[in-house]
Amino acid sequence: MSELAIRRGAAPALAVSGLSYAYPHALAPALADVSLEVAPGEFVLLAGRSASGKSTLLKAACGLVPHFHGGEIEGEVRVADLDAIAAGPGELAAAVGYLAQDPETQVVSTTVAAEIELPLEMRGDEPADRARAVEEVALALAIPHLLDRTVDTLSGGELQRVALAAALVTRPRLILLDEPTSQLDPVAGDELIWLLRRLNEEWGVAVLLADHRLERCLAAADRVVAMEHGATSFDGAPAEFLAWSQKADPALETPAARLFSLAGIDPLPTGVREARQTLRGMGIAHPPNRPSRSVSDPHPSHPAPEDVFRSKGLWVELDRGEDLRDVLKGIDLTIRRGECVALMGRNGAGKSTLLRTAAGMHEPVAGKIDVDSVALLTQNPGDYLVRERVGDELPGEEGAAALRVVGLEDKVDADPRDLSGGERQRLALAIALAGRMEGELLPGVVALDEPTRGMDRARKGDLVALIASLAGDVEFVADESTKSTGAAVVVATHDVEFAAEFAERVVLLGDGVVIADGPSAEILSGGWYFATEVARVLDRPGVVTPEQGAAALAEERS
Amino acid sequence: MKSPFAYRPRPRPLQLASPTAAVAYLGAIVAVAFLYSNPLVLLAAGAAAVTAGLLAGARRAVRVALKMGAALALLIVVVNALVVSRGETVLARLGDWPLFGKVDVTLEAIVAGASGGLRAAVAMIAAAVYSACVDPDRVLRVLRPLAGRSALTATLVSRLVPVTAADAGRLRDAARLRGPGAAEVGKAPLARRLLAGSLDRAVDVAATLELRGYSLDAPKAKNRRSRSRYDRRFYAVAAVVLAAAIAGKAVGADDFQTYPSVEIGLGPGTLAIAVVVALSGFAPWRGRVSSLSPMRRQTRHPEAARV
Repeated sequence: MSELAIRRGAAPALAVSGLSYAYPHALAPALADVSLEVAPGEFVLLAGRSASGKSTLLKAACGLVPHFHGGEIEGEVRVADLDAIAAGPGELAAAVGYLAQDPETQVVSTTVAAEIELPLEMRGDEPADRARAVEEVALALAIPHLLDRTVDTLSGGELQRVALAAALVTRPRLILLDEPTSQLDPVAGDELIWLLRRLNEEWGVAVLLADHRLERCLAAADRVVAMEHGATSFDGAPAEFLAWSQKADPALETPAARLFSLAGIDPLPTGVREARQTLRGMGIAHPPNRPSRSVSDPHPSHPAPEDVFRSKGLWVELDRGEDLRDVLKGIDLTIRRGECVALMGRNGAGKSTLLRTAAGMHEPVAGKIDVDSVALLTQNPGDYLVRERVGDELPGEEGAAALRVVGLEDKVDADPRDLSGGERQRLALAIALAGRMEGELLPGVVALDEPTRGMDRARKGDLVALIASLAGDVEFVADESTKSTGAAVVVATHDVEFAAEFAERVVLLGDGVVIADGPSAEILSGGWYFATEVARVLDRPGVVTPEQGAAALAEERS
Repeated sequence: MKSPFAYRPRPRPLQLASPTAAVAYLGAIVAVAFLYSNPLVLLAAGAAAVTAGLLAGARRAVRVALKMGAALALLIVVVNALVVSRGETVLARLGDWPLFGKVDVTLEAIVAGASGGLRAAVAMIAAAVYSACVDPDRVLRVLRPLAGRSALTATLVSRLVPVTAADAGRLRDAARLRGPGAAEVGKAPLARRLLAGSLDRAVDVAATLELRGYSLDAPKAKNRRSRSRYDRRFYAVAAVVLAAAIAGKAVGADDFQTYPSVEIGLGPGTLAIAVVVALSGFAPWRGRVSSLSPMRRQTRHPEAARV
């Protein structure tokens, strides 16, 4: 069948029937009797907890499973009427595009133009056709200005778009995306989802998207397929999915849906717009526009514990290869022991640099920073794990104390590779903490850099609990001051919902400058991008979580 | 931090030229360095490579290559001075050394070492200019129809090098951030971890290559005719330099002797060759700069312009 015939054909973009698959040497199958069909031009969201089989299903649909990974497979996978199990990923490339989580390993060329052109070249397209296709896909994804750049000069968001362009340049009928927004800030993440929706509507590309941040994607989807233990547990419309998740797996509920279910409002909304329409229909008015707050005093007036992080006019300059660039531009910041602070901002705003400077990894070029002992956990906890036994990573009493703090004291003899993702993260944190504690007193600052990448909501909940235990309790003592044995927990994150859960204070950075600093309820309810879904639905000052929203609605309705 | 030798696209003639033209031009300079021993000609070849790099905008690559070349040249001089005792002008008698035996440092051995070091430095600078100015994607595109497997390996390696370098940087950072109570990380565990991580990365990159259709036995894509208006200039300069070098060699322009005593020929032939080679460094001269950069059309869409 010619490629054009495939593209115009009425066959499903993807048809999976009775698919079971086990990775080589795996004890349990990754997929168990999965059946699924994606119609041409359909936008399907793949939901489910970590390790539920979403990524494996996507890899089966593009031929990487079993061709690249091996293992045992049963059943049938057809992509645009091609047998995906018989054909390899290369043969399927004209019919299906695949975009994985980590853009770093998804580019293989030096320049952007060459990267996008490569699949066409491999297919034997004529030079003039290749030139036109590259130009068109670049225009569609708004990246023509990047074509002459080398890939190592691109930001994460730009790199993700380039990888998407390379996946789309062959005009596939189906595009598969595995958590493409997990490394992107809210702005870039939203842009990517709506870009996919536009491509889906204008080019008729069927989309199968796996993502944990359902609130970001649900409104764009035509259908939701939920997976659990390698099998599909739900397949239906987004609104039906919300009703199902409420009973079957509340961890998959979106914040807006949870808000409505707590407030007893039906139907559950798939997005902000739908939620607002429902509320308007109920006569719950949307408050008039109000100016967003900028920097305010983040600290309440009552006496507070000691400052453990103090920076004054902090400037940090980094060498980006060809030139030096100011990444932090005069940061003034004070953080107290026991505070939970979310450090937010776009990719490249300076969040990681601020944490690394606090940990002594960068020297300021001007200003000063004075931080009590810092334990910093970087974005890849696996980088801390180099031995094959937990006890070998953390010997002695100091190691045991650090393991107790993160709740892993009973895993001393385990191999770090056998731990779950959350446990590996805790172990890495214990490695950073070891020897920086004085008895039970934690170091002044515990800093976590993007700790929720690729995490499902249940694991985020565990992390919120860990952060709360690290921050400890603030005690009011006799002389009207307070004291805390916990640390100041500073978390650089793009995840506004997570920030709303754990943080009492949000510091928003923009291009190396503090552009907002205040209580999280105030900051996360005062903007468009750095605002929770509930805040965008209700737009009430200080209302950011479903529980707060439900309480506010109950008050207004009474 | 990006390697100073990493390719960076710039709207300069050397970057806009086809890979074969750029290789011919830089190869001619290197060929002179290997054909000649006369320090004057070698200096001229070095000057040509440096000038070419500077005119192509690869200032950082040239600077680092100069430092590395100087260090390498110095090493060669020292080793040659210690190992070779030939020559009439003894500068120092250092007595008997283990392994080396009787060590006499002679002026002739130093000059011979300097000549060899200069040759190595010229090759190093030219290689740095090549690396910083010639688009590896275009080189691979030329190579792919000729040697598919080699091109695949080169693609995999060229991507893995920066990815592994980034991984190594992250692992080093994580090692620095370990608490003082955690077990220390020696080089061996770190190297093991990096190797294991590199294998995972290699699998990911290989999967991407599969998805891009690298394993397809597709009809060989016609390569764009990636010629630029500067190609003729570079081919012509390469031809002139090579012809002059060969002719000069034939008429004895490479007049240079180190043992038993140093004799450096500075005759008209040698001077003429040196001038020609040094002037070849100006081949990447951009001349008049138009307000509209020709780069994008020339490098990306030579065919589209005609469609």
